[in-house]
Amino acid sequence: MMLNTHQIQHDLALLGGGAHALAIQILGNAEDAADAVHDALEKVLRAPGAYRPEQGPFKPWFLRVVRNRCIDLLRQRRPVDNRSDEIADAAADPAREAEIADRDRVLQLALASLDSDQRQIIVLRDYMDLTYAEIAAVLDTAPGTVMSRLHRARVNLGKAYREYDD
Amino acid sequence: MMTKELNDDGHVGDLLSGYIDNELTQQEQQRVRLHCDSCPDCSRQMTELREMRVRIGAATLSNRDHDFWREDMDDMTVKATRGIGWLLLLGGAIIGAGVGVYEILSSPSSLSLLEKLVVGGVYGGLLLIFISVLRQRLVERKSDRYKDVEI
Repeated sequence: MMLNTHQIQHDLALLGGGAHALAIQILGNAEDAADAVHDALEKVLRAPGAYRPEQGPFKPWFLRVVRNRCIDLLRQRRPVDNRSDEIADAAADPAREAEIADRDRVLQLALASLDSDQRQIIVLRDYMDLTYAEIAAVLDTAPGTVMSRLHRARVNLGKAYREYDD
Repeated sequence: MMTKELNDDGHVGDLLSGYIDNELTQQEQQRVRLHCDSCPDCSRQMTELREMRVRIGAATLSNRDHDFWREDMDDMTVKATRGIGWLLLLGGAIIGAGVGVYEILSSPSSLSLLEKLVVGGVYGGLLLIFISVLRQRLVERKSDRYKDVEI
């Protein structure tokens, strides 16, 4: 069974925001992340048959496409062009700061203090509500390691959140 | 599913995350529940983990909603359709011009000089306009710093 294009577009539109949040955690800024999601959408729409339901649910499959595209973009960047600090720096931008509610700002600062892997696993579980098996599929890792990695990330996030919240 | 005893520090550790995510076996859930009933540290940590999870779930981590992505995909479809349309139009115009030129050259006596001038003028004009637009677009493409900016 194959999904029709209309159904795929509907599902992709709903997944776009979460995929963008994931891409931000990998690439460090919203614009590059939007480009990565756009590229992934284009790739999927050009060849919708690439997804086969027997491979598992659509959501983790698409997020893996997005993540792979982000990794490609990271590789294309110059070695010195490390913009991961922009997540935290964004809070220093007055225009951006005004847009973000204070609670979200603290949370984003705390998230930015974690490493990319920890940010990704938290977004996949707590923001996108993926199961551990689905997270393992997206991150291409052993399902047995997800719980411990997620727990470590959550503990670190909690510490960072309390620090920034004080 | 794996089963796990207490950590070296006497706490349930990452099983707390498995518990709040409903990813444990019944046995593991029972063990975590019993442990938390008698361990204020783990009980407090579980509450904190739950609160943080709710906080992240309610946060805005992306400033682009599903309408943005729907429009983005619509734009892709429009661009692809437009590309095919231009290709067909261009192909048709080239074939039409070729047939017209061939007709004029192969049967010179069937058309008067005036008719030849009119037909030649129309085709020549179209050709010049096309070359002019094409040249302008190519120049703009090379020099436009903002060509990748999406409005």
